[in-house]
Amino acid sequence: MPIDVSVVRKIAALARLRIDPAEEERYARELDGILGFVEQLQALDVAGIEPTSQVTEGARPALRADEVCPFGARDEALEGAPERDGDYFKVPQVV
Amino acid sequence: MTKYATATDEMRAKYEPVIGLEVHAQLKTKTKIFCACATTFGAAPNSQVCPVCLGLPGVLPVLNERAVTFAAMTGLAVGATIHPRSIFARKNYFYPDLSKGYQISQYDRPLCEGGGVEIHVEEVRKRIGLVRIHLEEDAGKSLHPEGKEGVSTTRVDLNRAGVPLIEIVSEPDIRSGVEAYHYLTKLKQILVYLDVCDGNMEEGSLRCDANVSVRPCGRVAFGTKTEIKNLNSFRYVEKAIAYEIDRQIALIESGGRVVQETLLWDSARGVAETMRSKEEAHDYRYFPEPDLPPIDLDPSWVESLRASLPELPDALRERLVREQGIPEYDAEVLTETRALASYYEEVAARSGQPKLASNWIMTEVNAVRNKTGDSIESFPVRADRLGDLVAMVANGRVSGKIAKQLFEMMLTDSSGPEALVQKHGLLPIEDDAALRALALEVLAANPGPTAEFRAGKEKTFAFLVGQAMKQSRGRAHPEKLQAALRAVLTEESA
Amino acid sequence: MSAPLVLESAESLARAVTQGERSAADVTRAFLAQADRTAPKLGTYLHRLAESALRDAEAIDRRRAKGDPLGPLAGVPVAIKDNICVRGVPTTCGSKILEGYRPPYDAHVVERLRAADAVIVGKTNCDEFAMGSSTENSAYQVTHNPWNLDRVPGGSSGGSAATVAACEAPLSLGSDTGGSVRQPAAFCGVYGLKPTYGAVSRYGLVAFASSLDQIGPFARSARDTALIQGVICGRDARDTTSRADARPISLDALERDLAGFRLGVPRAILDEAGEGLAPSIRAAFESAISAYERAGAKIVDVSLPHSRYAIATYYLIAPAEASSNLARYDGVRYGVRRSDGDLRGMYEATRGAGFGREVKRRILLGTYALSAGYYDAYYLRAQKVRTLIRKDFLDALAVSDALLLPITPTPAFKLVEKTDDPLAMYLSDIFSIPASLAGVPALSFPASFDASGLPIGLQVVGRPFDEETILRVARAYEREHDAASRVPAIALAEAGDAR
Repeated sequence: MPIDVSVVRKIAALARLRIDPAEEERYARELDGILGFVEQLQALDVAGIEPTSQVTEGARPALRADEVCPFGARDEALEGAPERDGDYFKVPQVV
Repeated sequence: MTKYATATDEMRAKYEPVIGLEVHAQLKTKTKIFCACATTFGAAPNSQVCPVCLGLPGVLPVLNERAVTFAAMTGLAVGATIHPRSIFARKNYFYPDLSKGYQISQYDRPLCEGGGVEIHVEEVRKRIGLVRIHLEEDAGKSLHPEGKEGVSTTRVDLNRAGVPLIEIVSEPDIRSGVEAYHYLTKLKQILVYLDVCDGNMEEGSLRCDANVSVRPCGRVAFGTKTEIKNLNSFRYVEKAIAYEIDRQIALIESGGRVVQETLLWDSARGVAETMRSKEEAHDYRYFPEPDLPPIDLDPSWVESLRASLPELPDALRERLVREQGIPEYDAEVLTETRALASYYEEVAARSGQPKLASNWIMTEVNAVRNKTGDSIESFPVRADRLGDLVAMVANGRVSGKIAKQLFEMMLTDSSGPEALVQKHGLLPIEDDAALRALALEVLAANPGPTAEFRAGKEKTFAFLVGQAMKQSRGRAHPEKLQAALRAVLTEESA
Repeated sequence: MSAPLVLESAESLARAVTQGERSAADVTRAFLAQADRTAPKLGTYLHRLAESALRDAEAIDRRRAKGDPLGPLAGVPVAIKDNICVRGVPTTCGSKILEGYRPPYDAHVVERLRAADAVIVGKTNCDEFAMGSSTENSAYQVTHNPWNLDRVPGGSSGGSAATVAACEAPLSLGSDTGGSVRQPAAFCGVYGLKPTYGAVSRYGLVAFASSLDQIGPFARSARDTALIQGVICGRDARDTTSRADARPISLDALERDLAGFRLGVPRAILDEAGEGLAPSIRAAFESAISAYERAGAKIVDVSLPHSRYAIATYYLIAPAEASSNLARYDGVRYGVRRSDGDLRGMYEATRGAGFGREVKRRILLGTYALSAGYYDAYYLRAQKVRTLIRKDFLDALAVSDALLLPITPTPAFKLVEKTDDPLAMYLSDIFSIPASLAGVPALSFPASFDASGLPIGLQVVGRPFDEETILRVARAYEREHDAASRVPAIALAEAGDAR
């Protein structure tokens, strides 16, 4: 399925990305080209093959004990907030 | 807004409601699911946060082992299959209280599948099946105060972000709001028995969304379902489901079609309203979480966890019926919580009176608790004291009436009933001479009824007994008093 | 006249500082002075830490004077790629969306470096969010190849590679997802290691593609690479994909010869680059095979039949994970925010303005590959092909002790040459991506130079957690060739003053 501007708009909306209308065509073309390239994977027979989502087979389970360990630099962590209301983060209202 | 015709009983009879519930339960771990921040409720905003739950660049989740344990316990308690390997997945969407822009949850490979919960509605026992139970992280809180200049803003507190949740999905086996109410009550009971969740809907440690559809009786295919959110109590769940069933039936009967949508329950107005429409349906783009290895559970660990589970409500109830010989109804009331059941067992053992102990708890104890809101753990009358009191009633040391007086006293006085009897002069009157004197007094004070009895009116005997008991302020030994009265009555009739 | 200090190895500098022959402050000053002169021309740094570096160095000297033991990198300056968190220091990942952002914590590797008494001298330029092969996608500045200023240093860790090549620091850290340490190392004539996935903690590495990202070092010798790798590797409780299997590498073990060593050569992989393969690369590759034979290695023919699908596989998996990892850049809690009416407007304006083209392209691609209806055909299928690619490597490494491959199809290309054609840029990753997908360790080492004096690197790939062997293979080559010891003119011209 070719990638056209309407597809770019839909995906951009899902990803909350504003794309300059002047560039929509270009992105559509580029994505279309890349997806055309990756089509080659369709030719492979992958029946019965398990997907690899991690290459860490054999790793021991890594669980954390349920003990409180407060983060010592909390004020520093909140410092970079673009807008605050006291200790809250402030954002435009969720519609 | 279109006004729908209301559903009538005739209409209702033609349809079968099909309801499934999705319940989210906050787990009572000390720390969050993927970081070591505290989970205490009510802390100052953004005071229980760290780079991980703030979603700062460069951080990674680390799984809390107790969250896994609590989730597995829940699965075992409902008879679900615990999968030896399960994986986390990312659920991607944008919201200000979702700090990473995705929620770590479980999708294709949840921790538990299957299982069920037995509910008891009006003498009928029914099993509500479960689809699955999986682990996920809670989001933070978005608060919507009105802005001063009329521009609205939202405030975000991420204390709650990362608190561990289990999502419990039921099969669509529920058929009414009432069944839903019982299902939630039972589920909460199990969670509280396991001590994995507080089960408090008003505080948000238990949340519920309902999926409701109807189908003509006899049809197998499901009707279109709606999802109802914003249900903040078990009663609202019941009401909202009842409302929505009726709405759908009335709609279909009037020629309309149910639209698949999400509704918000408005408890003030008693209606479920369409959420403001979203531009596009969510596409969560689930994929396996690359930052977390699979949860791999050792089967022997699962078995030892199973063995270590506390006795669950159904088993406890059945055991009490079996061992104590009390009726099912009593056992159900007494097993409301583990603590109450323990209290009962101690009272029954101490008094040797299982049924009487049950009565006392169900009536006297619970009456007080309903008024004061006391948990059984903080109830002022200790189990051994109550046990002694019940024994005294059973062996006739005090009458039922005196016993109730003693109980009242014991609410504020931690002395045992025997000590109180001594202290307040509530000793029973058992002495024959004293009882004879009492009987004579009563007859003298009531010549009319006395004469009537002697004339053959057997009924007045009870009146005379009552008068004598009153005179003795309940202290007269019941059987002995009756014997004394009869004796006096008969000997003087000649 | 002895060689300028900035040309010395990290190993020798650390020894000198530890033994009191040199002060850490002198060492740091020498490298800072070097960078003062060359960094403005090269564009290597986004943020230099001259003052704190000197303070750290002086503190090390004080401890030495007290007789305290010093760490294995005592006094050695190390530069850090700007997608790795250093507390309180701007960490922009080469992006406008993180302009001014200062992390409240150090990455695990930074903690390890500090504990080893290394001196952090600055944050280096990189492609935005590590996405790119030339560092031209940095939103801030361009970095130039020290061997030829008209050429790219490679990417995405171009700044870290160039800074070591120009002797501004003996060591640096970058990150490698599809080649982002190895390719710039080859372009800049230095060593670049992509460790086994899981060998080095990713805590503090700003995520691009979580199942592929690894932090890796740059150095100018095999032994120095082993030295810093030994400091940064090992399990970290804050990254549950990190493994305990990674252990410090014995430097002595690197000196063992290669008699009887089975070196696997997947010749067919060269054909995959087709006409894109520069003759100089092919020649260097063949020459290296001969050199290894002379050194006693046994050449084993192996094949990696599914490598031809590696680029396609990578460019589905990596953007998919990236699209999710970059969702947190929303202007709510940190970084830059652009207001535009309501919340949705804020998200879109912030991310629209804050992300560059390549990042946007990959987010769109990744979002698409994961979206409803396309997940099975794209993302899931790519993960299955990944299984096949990994198996190819493990099979090849079962009949050989390490593999020799090219790392790039050409030496460094010109600035701006490939920026118009993203797909062409992706295709140049043909030799580096397969090892990333397989999760196996891979090292780029300087092999030779082409006729115009541009460095040519080659790649050794090893078994999981066998970094020691691949470093040994590179060291064997290093002992017989001088490519690694050559230094670009820009470094030398100034270095004469830096004693």
